[in-house]
Amino acid sequence: MSWSAHDLEPYAIQRYLGGRVAIVPLLVGSYSPDLATKWFVYGISIAGVELRAEDPARFHRDWPGMGFTHSLTFGVAVAALILFLTHSRVWALSFVIGQWLHAITDAFDTVGTMLFFPFTTEHVAIGAWAYAGHLDRWTDAGAYFSSWGFVMDGVWVVYGLVAWRVLTRSYFRETIAPADPFWRWAGRFLPEVALLAIYRASFFYGTTRWVAWLIWAHVVHDYPFDFSWGGPDWVAAEHPAPEAPR
Amino acid sequence: MNAARKTLLAYLTAAAVYIALGVILPELLLSWIVGVAYLLLAVWLVPALVRRVG
Repeated sequence: MSWSAHDLEPYAIQRYLGGRVAIVPLLVGSYSPDLATKWFVYGISIAGVELRAEDPARFHRDWPGMGFTHSLTFGVAVAALILFLTHSRVWALSFVIGQWLHAITDAFDTVGTMLFFPFTTEHVAIGAWAYAGHLDRWTDAGAYFSSWGFVMDGVWVVYGLVAWRVLTRSYFRETIAPADPFWRWAGRFLPEVALLAIYRASFFYGTTRWVAWLIWAHVVHDYPFDFSWGGPDWVAAEHPAPEAPR
Repeated sequence: MNAARKTLLAYLTAAAVYIALGVILPELLLSWIVGVAYLLLAVWLVPALVRRVG
């Protein structure tokens, strides 16, 4: 589980691949594994009724469950569908890159991801920081921003700031807008200043919330930093379910 | 001040306010849609409104 990386990684890819990718499908791909799952992991209240997965980590990352959304095959399957519907190789390629980045990034926590589903349900789990989504959102935030998780996000924040040219108006005009007809379409309704804000929005969101959560966790609250592998140790981290005996 | 610096200042101000609000009300940090709507308000709609009124 990452808190800002999925907002920021697409800009790093954009910086490297330029006009060969499009930022909108990159971002959609980067968000796609959690779009249908995150609300049910943390729970949601609708008209006083609490909806939450009985076992959030299993629901989020396992099979049976929605864990297939964090596999490489899912990215390829959706990209193939995008190619079939739009005939846009740039959109299909951008989506698959974004989705793969998400699946690989989430493999760094203690639960990991079923990267090679459906060929195996085994998790790839590097285990650098604790998966704590099964507790509650606030404990998860406190744990993540006290562990290697926030350092990983910080790398993307710093990289984005170093590669600041990717956020400029001239880069948008010369590289972003020509690569994707979406911007020409959106430009019929919105002025360029609004298009630029939309283009920069995920970078803005990822960076500002990274700073805000750090302050929240360590100034407003007093969650202790712990850079032990798989930490912080003060939270009960989830791990992949043991394989059923064969 | 040239236009690029004015834009940078607008984004930095918007970021500082969003961070401050987010620390006080962390629920604001949970929604990407709220984040995008806030940015559009801060760097496009409010400045455009102020220019029109002024």
